[in-house]
Amino acid sequence: MSYIPGQPVTAVVQRVEIHKLRQGENLILGFSIGGGIDQDPSQNPFSEDKTDKVNGWDMTMVTHDQARKRLTKRSEEVVRLLVTRQSLQKAVQQSMLS
Amino acid sequence: MQDRLHILEDLNMLYIRQMALSLEDTELQRKLDHEIRMREGACKLLAACSQREQALEATKSLLVCNSRILSYMGELQRRKEAQVLGKTSRRPSDSGPPAERSPCRGRVCISDLRIPLMWKDTEYFKNKGDLHRWAVFLLLQLGEHIQDTEMILVDRTLTDISFQSNVLFAEAGPDFELRLELYGACVEEEGALTGGPKRLATKLSSSLGRSSGRRVRASLDSAGGSGSSPILLPTPAVGGPRYHLLAHTTLTLAAVQDGFRTHDLTLASHEENPAWLPLYGSVCCRLAAQPLCLTQPTASGTLRVQQAGEMQNWAQVHGVLKGTNLFCYRQPEDADTGEEPLLTIAVNKETRVRAGELDQALGRPFTLSISNQYGDDEVTHTLQTESREALQSWMEALWQLFFDMSQWKQCCDEIMKIETPAPRKPPQALAKQGSLYHEMAIEPLDDIAAVTDILTQREGARLETPPPWLAMFTNQPALPNPCSPASVAPAPAPAWTHPLPWGRPRTFSLDAVPPDHSPRARSVAPLPPQRSPRTRGLCSKGQPRTWLQSPV
Repeated sequence: MSYIPGQPVTAVVQRVEIHKLRQGENLILGFSIGGGIDQDPSQNPFSEDKTDKVNGWDMTMVTHDQARKRLTKRSEEVVRLLVTRQSLQKAVQQSMLS
Repeated sequence: MQDRLHILEDLNMLYIRQMALSLEDTELQRKLDHEIRMREGACKLLAACSQREQALEATKSLLVCNSRILSYMGELQRRKEAQVLGKTSRRPSDSGPPAERSPCRGRVCISDLRIPLMWKDTEYFKNKGDLHRWAVFLLLQLGEHIQDTEMILVDRTLTDISFQSNVLFAEAGPDFELRLELYGACVEEEGALTGGPKRLATKLSSSLGRSSGRRVRASLDSAGGSGSSPILLPTPAVGGPRYHLLAHTTLTLAAVQDGFRTHDLTLASHEENPAWLPLYGSVCCRLAAQPLCLTQPTASGTLRVQQAGEMQNWAQVHGVLKGTNLFCYRQPEDADTGEEPLLTIAVNKETRVRAGELDQALGRPFTLSISNQYGDDEVTHTLQTESREALQSWMEALWQLFFDMSQWKQCCDEIMKIETPAPRKPPQALAKQGSLYHEMAIEPLDDIAAVTDILTQREGARLETPPPWLAMFTNQPALPNPCSPASVAPAPAPAWTHPLPWGRPRTFSLDAVPPDHSPRARSVAPLPPQRSPRTRGLCSKGQPRTWLQSPV
């Protein structure tokens, strides 16, 4: 079984809500994003934390630039992310067993 | 000229030392000697420095030493004057007005100092050129004691200058004046940035002869700093960093509060000054004061206290007057062992004390009464002391306490907590100091517990085989063109962090490769990044070769 890009995917996600920080006249989140549908995933130094949705916008099929734009909208003070990571699965399994 | 300056300097030092000796004030003399030696050390270090940041630390030490030497000098002169005046005007010992009551000393501690900045640059995110940095520190003076905070590097990414130090002054009176001075210097060489004021100095230096002229110029320029007289303590370094006074303020008892307060800063420099920083104009801090009368016992001794309701049976107790209470212990040892006192009588601003003719009717001499108002009731305790002298000394202690409370005002309402400052670590290799964002570490582990709780409640099904979505993490492409959803780089990063080249908030950014200077995104691969948007999300014909990362 493997993940086919472009096909709908069901995954265990974690909802993360981040309030942007004010730095001078700008609002920033304070972290970096990498990747995008137009990027080469084999060069990803990390394999954690994939973002599925940002404030309702689907992120599973976005380019790097689109992703960045969705996260840095000036009008939004809060960003709500649906994030998935590998360790979520382990955590779920552990809780089921206990 | 140079030799003359040397001689003048030596003469001055000699004069200072002689003054200290003649006063036979060993404490002050020792402190002065210590500062003079520290100053010599700082001068040598400054001459030997190669790196700008070392030079900044050494110059800061020099400035602090100079300030201390001057303030000790001032103190010495004051004491000398007092001594001389004391000798000439002789007062007969049994006449003259009684000594004026002086308030007790206290400990004053200033902590959590924060100075907000006000960057007006609307081009914040498009940082042009190099990041301009400043080195700043605070000099705090109370009486003749001077202390400094650590030096902090400031740049455009900081919203405030926050000092971690706690500064404690141990022997303050309630009329204290705590002077706060903010000094700043450019981290980069000043030469590139300054213009006018240097021209005159250059002219002067060239007309006097190069090396001596430079000395004079250096000392003239530093005269604007801590107010050190240029001839007395000329700055030896040439072309070293120079601190300028950026702002100052004076805090007094009125500013003391067990909490944070904001105070106004008087700005002392203007935009032409190379070390000028856009200060918002205020300073926030916690200024606490602990008068000694609250933390140390001011009187103790044997007392007989009238038991409630029993007219004749008076208990013998050991009384300790401390803070706003008179504790009556069964035995003297109880005060030290932490035993509960038999009785505690409040002695505060509202209390009334009377030496007692009140109880002559009971036939007990040497009594005093302490009355407190609790709502509508007045509660009076009557205490008998051992002798007339004991009564007088108790009354004296109580009057002194009332006086102290009237002088220290709000500090006597409740004891303000003061932490003894930890000894400051010597300045390490100065890493670029980040902003608040450095401390932001989002801990996902806490959230996982919440997630799994919800899942166990809802699903209940056992997930034994790995679900299909986990394949997203295995990096095995199903199609020839590998694509993946946008990844978010986690905030707590592994050990390797590289500073961003253009000064965005330095998050734990995950740059694997030394960055280039493109403004927003950095390309890891050697090929230029493919930035053409693919709205359909379908991968392009050629394989994407890049892994872009952008701060958001």
